[in-house]
Amino acid sequence: MDTTQIGSTPGKPLSIERVMKIYQSRSGAAVEALRQFDLEIAAGEFVVVVGPSGCGKSTLLYMLAGFSKPTQGSLKVSGEPITGPDIDRGMVFQSYALFPWLSVIGNVEFGLERKGVPRGDRRLLAMEYLKMVGLQEFADKHVTELSGGMKQRTAIARAFATEPSIIFMDEPFGALDALTRRFLQQELLRIWKEHRKTIVFITHSVPEAIFLADRIVVMTARPGRIKCEIQVGLPHPREITSDAFRELERRIYSELDEELSKTMDQEGGPAAD
Amino acid sequence: MRRLSDVAGRVLPFIYAAIFIVVVWQLVVTVTNPHPSLLPPPWTVAKGFYSLILSGELFIHAGVSLGRVTSAWLLSAAIAIPLGLAMGRSRRMERLVDPVVELFRPISPLAWIPLAILWFGISESGKIFIVFIGTFFPTLLSTVAGVKSIDPVMIHAGQVLGCNDPASMFRRVVLPAALPSIVVGLRIAFGTGWAAIIAAELVAARSGLGYLIANGMEILRADQVLVGMIVIGVLGVFFDAFFRYLNRRFSWES
Repeated sequence: MDTTQIGSTPGKPLSIERVMKIYQSRSGAAVEALRQFDLEIAAGEFVVVVGPSGCGKSTLLYMLAGFSKPTQGSLKVSGEPITGPDIDRGMVFQSYALFPWLSVIGNVEFGLERKGVPRGDRRLLAMEYLKMVGLQEFADKHVTELSGGMKQRTAIARAFATEPSIIFMDEPFGALDALTRRFLQQELLRIWKEHRKTIVFITHSVPEAIFLADRIVVMTARPGRIKCEIQVGLPHPREITSDAFRELERRIYSELDEELSKTMDQEGGPAAD
Repeated sequence: MRRLSDVAGRVLPFIYAAIFIVVVWQLVVTVTNPHPSLLPPPWTVAKGFYSLILSGELFIHAGVSLGRVTSAWLLSAAIAIPLGLAMGRSRRMERLVDPVVELFRPISPLAWIPLAILWFGISESGKIFIVFIGTFFPTLLSTVAGVKSIDPVMIHAGQVLGCNDPASMFRRVVLPAALPSIVVGLRIAFGTGWAAIIAAELVAARSGLGYLIANGMEILRADQVLVGMIVIGVLGVFFDAFFRYLNRRFSWES
């Protein structure tokens, strides 16, 4: 095995068909998180999901990852139903979820070890992925010594290292400062272009969605459905200050504002008075 | 150099405390002038200490007590840690075992001494049994708490990184994530075990620091009683310091 050849597994398509999800809230009431959710995602596509908080974005992602099951409907990868978590579907979490008892490279090696990569190749391969995110100098550091941005770069290296065909990202840059966030967005795009994995990315940030996505899925307030889909179509690198960018931003914000006022009505917020 | 002053900073308060205790002790003896078989002066106890060291008796008794505590402590850990991991991960398991634990836990290990004597006489098993009772619950409860406080996102991360079976999840994620809390439990358990063994040896033993104390009482040698007590205290402090070091070593937050 040529250990310097990384990222050779292409992405796979995802399909979400008529998915409905009802869960029990802590008070025992049934909460309808998603309703009649249909979405087809192409192999290697970068899809960003935006929506008001509590709209079921995370519920959707957790079902795709296999952590929970839909109440109705089906979720498939390349036509195969998702039955549980799988190393072929990676995930990057907002809270990084690095293992604090392992070093930086130990975290990246974790999935490689589970995949059965022999010990000798494991470290070399993990090092390639640390280079990909620019952390090769920090390989033997403790993860508790890293800044937030470096933690998330480690988590990205860890997610890509097992060569999954799909990577889910749950507001991965939400806890980072604006500059780090911008830097990591550019890094992620560069890595995605090299590796062509399918990415489903959740965010609250409209500019982030436009900057990254092939396609943006705007969700309604709970129960979450698809409000609209927007093909971004701007060439990379996208200039945040360009007219086309601004125009898209305006459009998505107006869609979201509608949903936000509905949420306010439901929750008896200011709009209800 | 920082290392050295760190150690000094930790040891010095104990030396001050020891000096303070000896001074107060001597004052009490001088003022009240008690019979030496009730409260001998520090100097008499120091001489008794020296002769017990010379004869090697002190090392034998301390070694016997330490051996009993360590074996019972390891035995209880071997059962309490796996059981605690299972209880922390499985609601059903917890609901099954927890009421039993809650019923037994308030019963001090000392309350088990009469039964232990009835069942095991003054054999080693009786002492191991008492210490086992004393060390089991702290280890179990800390393990359960450690597992339950694992951030679910850690479990999810383990799942998407290929820990699909319970065995690999336990070994790769649950155990290391709960380890800091388990080490705390082991430390507390060793402390309660150390207290329990002395009590058990007071009542039913022919050796150990507890026996040394009980024997001192029977032959009216308060100096021997005090030597035993001092050794118990000093060793207790040493063990606790050792476990505090382990705590720091196995704590994942920097």
